[in-house]
Amino acid sequence: MIAVRKGKTKILIDLSKCGPDGDIDPRNCTKCLKQCDRPVFHLHHVIVDGDDSWDPSYWQVTPVYISQCTRCMRCIDVCPVNAISVSW
Amino acid sequence: MCEWCLKHGDGGKWYFNARNYQKELAEETNAVEHLNDILKVFDRSGVTPVYGMKFAGSGYKLQTPIVGRVVKRIINRVLHNEGPKRKHIGVDGHFGQVLPIEDASYIIENLATEPLTLNYCVCRYMCRGEKDARCLIFGVHSEIVDKIPRYIPENVKRPMDREEATRMLESFSEQGLVSTVWFHPVPFISAICSCENPDCMGIRMRHDYDIGLLYKAEYVIQFNPDLCEGLRACVSACQFGALSFSPTKDMVNVDLDKCYGCGNCRNACQHNALTLVPRNDIKQVAGRY
Repeated sequence: MIAVRKGKTKILIDLSKCGPDGDIDPRNCTKCLKQCDRPVFHLHHVIVDGDDSWDPSYWQVTPVYISQCTRCMRCIDVCPVNAISVSW
Repeated sequence: MCEWCLKHGDGGKWYFNARNYQKELAEETNAVEHLNDILKVFDRSGVTPVYGMKFAGSGYKLQTPIVGRVVKRIINRVLHNEGPKRKHIGVDGHFGQVLPIEDASYIIENLATEPLTLNYCVCRYMCRGEKDARCLIFGVHSEIVDKIPRYIPENVKRPMDREEATRMLESFSEQGLVSTVWFHPVPFISAICSCENPDCMGIRMRHDYDIGLLYKAEYVIQFNPDLCEGLRACVSACQFGALSFSPTKDMVNVDLDKCYGCGNCRNACQHNALTLVPRNDIKQVAGRY
């Protein structure tokens, strides 16, 4: 059951605001992850040279299942640093 | 009987074959090396490229008519890879099947190898950022996870004894979570998870994209219309949308094609109108896993 929509949704996350070098650590926020009905976003760690691979310290959020996005825009409303943008 | 029962079941269901839990099999299939490599990056398996193909945005690729079928075939081949040339990336050789709670308790009581530990569910952490201790893992797998601090939950006894683990699984089932048993890597069985839709990557992949990451149970629900009083409690207990309420008939409708056979709706029914029967006894769904 794949919901068919016209056009592709594009979701961009500004990593300079939310991410390894950003203002906030996504592990402490996770507001967009909890708001999304179909979990479109993924929280995952980033592989950095010289990083401890058993206990990584750099994490970021990536939109993975974009085709499931319902365009409800709740993630934009809830983001404290305005890092997410959705277009179609 | 499904494909995996014929290959690894020794004449029965694959998850009731004691050989699939043994340490010897783990050594034969290089499970230790595989798990050591894969668990470092397991919580980024959603974004790891597989053969140069990114998962991000793959939903649109799967919707396109011919390309979608090719992509699906490639993903299925990676998931079901049993060969010695298995690459230790993403979720190679990792797939599972839904279980009713009776079978899950039987596995924990009789088949699972020590030590049994309860771990954070990686799917829930990826999708929701929440550290929920829901995954019961055993044998070699839990020995490896002991080295990784980020999977280990607080305030949970490690390792657990079998009675405690069974009680834990039963309480999860009463909460409405679906028990699933997982190959990791195939044919070594290393985990029983308690999943929910849509936070479980296995259920999502199967339900939304029709990828063979999770198979339906060996059972299916049978509905007795004489006993149903139309209380609708079971409709909210189903994670897969197989049950719906019909106001005209004033009773519940069952969609057998959508039923995964977890049997959680039986807990909600007060009149015993729902029972589990073997999948192959019902002609409509026989052989469809």
